[in-house]
Amino acid sequence: MGNGGTGCSRCSQEAVYLQRATGRHLCSAHLAGEVVDRVRRTLAADGMPPAGSLVAVALSGGKDSTVLLSLLQGIARETGELDLVAITVDEGISGYREETLRAAAATAARYGVPHRTGSFAGLFGRTLDQEVTGQEHRACAVCGVLRRKALTILAREAGADCIATGHNLDDEAQSVLMNWLRGDRDRLLRDPLQGGQRGFLRRIKPLREIPEKEVALYGVITGLFTPMPECPYRHAALRGEARAMLNAMEQRFPGTLERLVQGQRRLARGAAGQIPAPVGSCMRCGEPATGPLCQACRLLEEGCFRPVRHR
Amino acid sequence: MRVRLPDGSLRTVEADGIPVEEVLARLGVNPVEVIVTRNGILIPEDASVCGGDEIRLVRISHGG
Repeated sequence: MGNGGTGCSRCSQEAVYLQRATGRHLCSAHLAGEVVDRVRRTLAADGMPPAGSLVAVALSGGKDSTVLLSLLQGIARETGELDLVAITVDEGISGYREETLRAAAATAARYGVPHRTGSFAGLFGRTLDQEVTGQEHRACAVCGVLRRKALTILAREAGADCIATGHNLDDEAQSVLMNWLRGDRDRLLRDPLQGGQRGFLRRIKPLREIPEKEVALYGVITGLFTPMPECPYRHAALRGEARAMLNAMEQRFPGTLERLVQGQRRLARGAAGQIPAPVGSCMRCGEPATGPLCQACRLLEEGCFRPVRHR
Repeated sequence: MRVRLPDGSLRTVEADGIPVEEVLARLGVNPVEVIVTRNGILIPEDASVCGGDEIRLVRISHGG
């Protein structure tokens, strides 16, 4: 190899990536090819949406959702069996969201995918910044619940059959660790791949087995990655701690993230049927709920947000 | 060598012929969290770097 480089484990090109969990070096072409193959395998394993489905792709404008839209657009074009609509939620995070919103609109236009946007301010009456002033540690928890709700509203309004999100392996592992740290037995034992039943809009996570670094490298290799500003709440919440802890473990003990996620899935499969499923409907919005209100409407009731609009 | 950190700041590191992951360790950066380029070209974290190289680190995670 010239220039002090290391060779790809699959060809004679220079490597751009060391996949620590397997010890292999990969060049640009083989890394990109493996990412595409894994997304296809994940979709096949989880159940490809049926022919004719309209898939709402949650497009934040960041690298994960941009890569996701690109890959799904490729599959949709190739099979001719899926239609896509991009949906973007403006949470109202000043100094951060403006740039990513512009990127989302540009990405949707680039792929010729219809694009729908909604905002916390429009849907719930207040921005995230307004809701968590002085309580920044709540930002990720509030944002997570309400963004999920907003995506569901936008996807239903678009007539979508399912929502595709850009969660990668790192996101999944962080969620598992956070559920352990919170002692949240129900979330730990609920199979995250189940959905689309009991009135839930089905969710798919085609990138769920791909480490974040590989998603980012795929984005660089294919010209989709643009450095974006950091979310100002990134370091305020439990997820930031979980991320740092897991990244340190992954560096020292490669494969930690994958083992953590796989272990949780084994636990969930073993506990199938033991966790009560939502049996009723939220009295405010009609979404499935275990009590009178769904999680988002409970949060809205507690805070100053106005209740979500009825479907 | 000169190293451009994810926040845009520039650091000079005295090193020659060592894996870039050792440079990152000196700077307190976890290789899992960054993409590394040497003279504008992507490199794996165990690639060797030399005194005249321009290293750039790009943080991969931005969200909350």
